[in-house]
Amino acid sequence: MDDTNYITMELTVNGRRVSKHCRSGRRLIDFLRDDLNLMGVKEGCGEGECGSCTVLLDGKAVLSCLTPMEKAIGHEVITIEGIGSANRLHPLQEAIIEEGGIQCGFCTPGMIMSGVELLARNPHPDRAEIIAAISGNLCRCTGYQKIVRSIEQAAQKMSSS
Amino acid sequence: MSEFQKTISQAVRISQSTGPVGQSVVREDAVVKATGRAVYAADITRPDMLYGKVLLSTEAHALIKNIDTSAAKNIPGVHAVLTARDIPGENVYGIAVADQQVLAEKKVRFFGEPVALVAAETPEIAEAALKEIKVAYEPLEGVFNPIDALKEGAPKVHEAGNLLLHTRVRKGDYRIGFEQADVIVENLFRTHGQDHSPLEPESGVAWFDGDGILNIYSSSQYIFRDRKQVGRVLNIPINRIHSVNTTVGGGFGRKDDVTVEILVSLLAWATQKPVKLVYTRHESMLTQTHRHPTIVRIRSGATASGKLTALEAVVYGDTGAYASLGIYVIKKMALHIGGPYYYPHYKADSFSVYTNNPIAGAFRGFGILQAATVHEVQMDELARRLGMDPIEFRLQNCLREGLTFSTGQVMDQACGIAATLEELREYVKRHGLQFKKHPEHQEVER
Amino acid sequence: MKLHGIGVGSMVYGVGYGFARPDFATAEVEAAADGSLTVWSGASELGQGLRTVLCQIAAQEFGTDYQDVRVVSADSEKTPDSGPVSASRSTYVQGNAVLQACRDLKEELRSLAAEMLKADPSTIEFSGGYVFSTTNPENSIAFHILTGQLHARGRRSHGFGWYDNHTEDVDKETSQGDAYSSFAWASQLAEIELDTETGEVTVLRIASATDVGKAINPKLVEGQIEGGAVQGLGFALLEDMKVERGVFKNSHFSTYILPTAADVPPIDPIIVEVPDPKGPYGAKGMAEPATIPTTPAILNAIADACGKWLKSTPAIPENILHLLGVLPDERKEALSIKDIPYPPF
Repeated sequence: MDDTNYITMELTVNGRRVSKHCRSGRRLIDFLRDDLNLMGVKEGCGEGECGSCTVLLDGKAVLSCLTPMEKAIGHEVITIEGIGSANRLHPLQEAIIEEGGIQCGFCTPGMIMSGVELLARNPHPDRAEIIAAISGNLCRCTGYQKIVRSIEQAAQKMSSS
Repeated sequence: MSEFQKTISQAVRISQSTGPVGQSVVREDAVVKATGRAVYAADITRPDMLYGKVLLSTEAHALIKNIDTSAAKNIPGVHAVLTARDIPGENVYGIAVADQQVLAEKKVRFFGEPVALVAAETPEIAEAALKEIKVAYEPLEGVFNPIDALKEGAPKVHEAGNLLLHTRVRKGDYRIGFEQADVIVENLFRTHGQDHSPLEPESGVAWFDGDGILNIYSSSQYIFRDRKQVGRVLNIPINRIHSVNTTVGGGFGRKDDVTVEILVSLLAWATQKPVKLVYTRHESMLTQTHRHPTIVRIRSGATASGKLTALEAVVYGDTGAYASLGIYVIKKMALHIGGPYYYPHYKADSFSVYTNNPIAGAFRGFGILQAATVHEVQMDELARRLGMDPIEFRLQNCLREGLTFSTGQVMDQACGIAATLEELREYVKRHGLQFKKHPEHQEVER
Repeated sequence: MKLHGIGVGSMVYGVGYGFARPDFATAEVEAAADGSLTVWSGASELGQGLRTVLCQIAAQEFGTDYQDVRVVSADSEKTPDSGPVSASRSTYVQGNAVLQACRDLKEELRSLAAEMLKADPSTIEFSGGYVFSTTNPENSIAFHILTGQLHARGRRSHGFGWYDNHTEDVDKETSQGDAYSSFAWASQLAEIELDTETGEVTVLRIASATDVGKAINPKLVEGQIEGGAVQGLGFALLEDMKVERGVFKNSHFSTYILPTAADVPPIDPIIVEVPDPKGPYGAKGMAEPATIPTTPAILNAIADACGKWLKSTPAIPENILHLLGVLPDERKEALSIKDIPYPPF
């Protein structure tokens, strides 16, 4: 393939400096999944309607299926893989596990990213603010009740620790 | 010890004292899912893997006069372009009836029916190749609702005709039952279709090992049936197919049927490379099954004292271009159209009918969501005409141990409908809720 | 004007396939030397939590902790064929198969324990991580010691379970017969507000009384109830699948509207437990029952509010305005009751 179709992606992903020579002109989700193997970023619709692909770009929740990859150059991206791991869970991950806010799990990473962004900018959200923050994230399994409760519980955990 | 570990160890202690059944233990896959590490089919990659795409029909009912794949095949990076002619085994599958073609051969029966397949080195190349496949269609008159489909001279979706199955339920003599009725409510209902929309679109990866074993990793509700159906189409013994369920991102009946398994296996066979096929949301919605739209005429009768006497119903289920599970969904609907109530006289007919609409199949509820929509409005309207409380009227007529279902089956001690209604009666009281009075509805003095 | 209403919907659901269709499940279980257990189940985990429930069933049978059980599911080179995961049958049918596999293996463990404890095998019980004779509970063996001995002595460490849920077909002409081996039951209440100017229906609450026989995991049951109600709400109010001359017109998430967190009212799950003697620990199927009554409960609440029943779904504003007579009904495809005759007796 013609070298003009290539680009060097230099950015910070999950706290690490990344420099990757790769095909240009794709979406941020493709770069994260195909080039960095960050498979926690999910594609549910590819049209910016379901929120499964939500990641943080400089701390703001963005839909990586609508974001051109080049837009992330020089910026900081955080995906679900950068939030916490099995032996060091984020309070929201703990809460969603305990509350039973997970079923098939496909919306979970995007849902958690929206929740993490909310809690970062608003440590004490009320119910309406929580619902507004995740209303761009579709879930077909849970009916949202336990997800909303997880975010409430995470806010409590975070303020008491 | 973190709070989370404390919760877990607390759960352990609880379960050690009384046993885990009945305890809200944390799901075993919660951590892997919360950390984004669960592996769904689309997350699997293999060295040298190709990307599959499917060309979908742009006609609801048409003859295929010609498919020209030469330009698509010549695009650099394209490894295979397949049509029905390339299928090594039988071009047929079906969950209940083998009536569906894997790739449309002589004609297409619905908008979105797979016509050709491409495998290429990148998704973009595969997409570009699809655009170069030229299909010449000769449109046919279509049929788009089950009533028209059963009319004399209607266009035939399948050669054998548009009626897939007629189910008859006959219990007692409905004529006697209606003679005993003081109030009869009769209505015509139409329910619409629904898309399952599991958040994970249908996905799969397939490849052949060096010893000829076909591996299929896919998002499925039943890998063992997928495997049988793949074997028939690829002409491979079933024991040489290794099917694996990846993490499934929701199914709701959608993935009960074969989704991408046969298609991705065909591409893996043709290219002898690993191939990934992930439907876009739009492709998923066009190609996969849906909830049956239905048309129901029904009448139900009750005495002035509020006892159900008879039911008569006819159900038309639009199963779309292929049967999928449309035989059983609509058959089940005929048995359940009376709901959880005792009718001494019950007459129901259901027709599962082919049309050129999107395929309908299994969807959480399996025809009973539609049936309940019908029988519950009937019950409510009867209660109002009788001037009775809707919950009391249901309790007075609901099935109980010793009473019989529409099929004559005798209910045993597990019959729980009254218990659920009693809970709601309590709930209404506890929350100070009240049914409104609509005096205009009432026919019977109480 | 805003009208307020409540409505009820109920349902019965024949669990499993009926009609003489194959309706089985298979399972295997192995006790390792350290007391950990592996269950092989061909049934798919779809997100409903089946694997967790199967862990709980196996742990209950062996008196161990559910975290000591690992379920390997749906891999044709590892697990036996267990039939599809559908028809609300998996806890019921697959659960029973796992139960039988565990009980099969327990026979071997029981006979070994009886030898070691010098007790009658029929008095051996498994509980709290120990195996003991009810005649002398003080004299016990830790489960992992027993399984260690099982392996050290070369005894059978595998159990096999098969459960057949199929029923005979009903009569071809009349559909009379025993159609299903188990039934599930549910009723829901919806409270709504109807805006007579916009035709918009807002659900204020849903109470869902679902008979699950036995809630093996109440939180998972609640998850099914809540998610089921929201799928039902989506069907009733939002998901207007538009098909014109065979073309699914709104086949994108931008135009096919699924419920979001903002569309969902508080849902009160009421778990009803009328046990089914054939179900594992009395459990019944419940995934579908959780979604079925929502739509009729909403339609009846609309009628409670405005006095008229909507008989053509969905309850989108346009259809509600037709119902209220605010908009004339100009739909071309209008069918009348006369077009649909009843077939002869």
